[in-house]
Amino acid sequence: MAAAATTSDILTPLMTRIAAGEREALRQLYEATSAKLFGVCLRILSDREESEDVLQDVYVTIWRRADRFDGARASVMTWVSTIARNRAIDRLRARGPMAYAEQVDDMEIADGQDSAETLLSAADDRNRLHGCLSELDDRTQSVIRTAFFEGVTYEALANRMDAPLGTVKSWIRRGLAKLKGCLQS
Amino acid sequence: MSEAPDLSENEALAAEHALGVLNARDRADAEMRMAREPAFAADVEAWRMRLAPMLSGLAAVPAPQGLWQRIERLLPANDGGIASANDNGAIMNKLRFWRNSAVGGFALAAASLAGVMVQVNQPPVVVERQVPVAPQGQLLSASVTTGEGSRVQPLFTASYDPDRKALIVTSLLPEGSDRDKVHQLWLIAGKDNPKSLGLVESGKAKVIALPTELMAKMAEGATLAVSLEAPGGSKNPNGPTGPVIGAGQLSRL
Repeated sequence: MAAAATTSDILTPLMTRIAAGEREALRQLYEATSAKLFGVCLRILSDREESEDVLQDVYVTIWRRADRFDGARASVMTWVSTIARNRAIDRLRARGPMAYAEQVDDMEIADGQDSAETLLSAADDRNRLHGCLSELDDRTQSVIRTAFFEGVTYEALANRMDAPLGTVKSWIRRGLAKLKGCLQS
Repeated sequence: MSEAPDLSENEALAAEHALGVLNARDRADAEMRMAREPAFAADVEAWRMRLAPMLSGLAAVPAPQGLWQRIERLLPANDGGIASANDNGAIMNKLRFWRNSAVGGFALAAASLAGVMVQVNQPPVVVERQVPVAPQGQLLSASVTTGEGSRVQPLFTASYDPDRKALIVTSLLPEGSDRDKVHQLWLIAGKDNPKSLGLVESGKAKVIALPTELMAKMAEGATLAVSLEAPGGSKNPNGPTGPVIGAGQLSRL
């Protein structure tokens, strides 16, 4: 992301040290990011015990994959948050089809105390994405957010919304195209 | 908002994969394409980064006390400080755990397990502290198989390259197979409890960097085994939790 690439990211040097196998660097990254990533896991899983499991797994994954981090493409926080989100979604899917049974409901992003934010200069990216999402119609925003936070497939979304699969697919594809256009402008 | 041009079919798929709306089959296809097409992988990654700021509005919640210590114990073998059990009781437990999960494993793996079983059924012995040694310069390979007789089926191939200090593992399983599970690779050298070498995705090749301690154990006759685990791998750092689906011994090329 543009903002991530231009903002000095104090966590970046840690990634190099982690990639070199330095446990102390991973511990420092954990200190700086674990509350944020635990928040991500909890948001997706709504279960403390599972979130703890996933969080463990996230740091082991970071340890293994630190060499793939590219500071020119993303901030450390964006990168580790994405790992946490993907792992949490994997866990959610592993619960089975029942996990998708509930209705689409209030998908608003909880605006919590973001203590790490000043560290991470994430605010610009967030505001931009937020602004672009809010330009989409409500229904499209809602399905994109639901999919993002729950990893819900097209089929399950169509089922929940009682809409044809092709229609849901077209909402999302159009929405994503608009989102990209807006983020680039 | 002005009308945006449609995404190309490739980019739409990348965006859908990053968002998470693809079903299991399409997801597996997308993963396969990411492994083979760097441009597609870059598209997916770019979309992940585009969407990630949705996460930055979430409240931070302090992680539970003691979690770091648990993580540190789980760190796999790609570093210099492998967690090793030094008391007899722990080793007994770990071996028992390994043996139980091996016995409870898939019937189809029974034959290839024989080699593993012989080793784990020996009485537990205190693990000798390994003195790091210089690489032997010996190329080794192993075929991790399942089944027996004419029905032996290779599941993974592995080559050890001492110059690269790495084990190159290739999964021969179809991409996306065992979708809700992961395949974890183990090294069983002598009487030590199994050492995790990490996860190997179906249909993919992986280069596993080896620390000196593990390089010293890469010897003819050491066994590689693969277990089927829940996402994230075995909860037990010293042995599989899930069934062992295949095993094979390292031999000289």
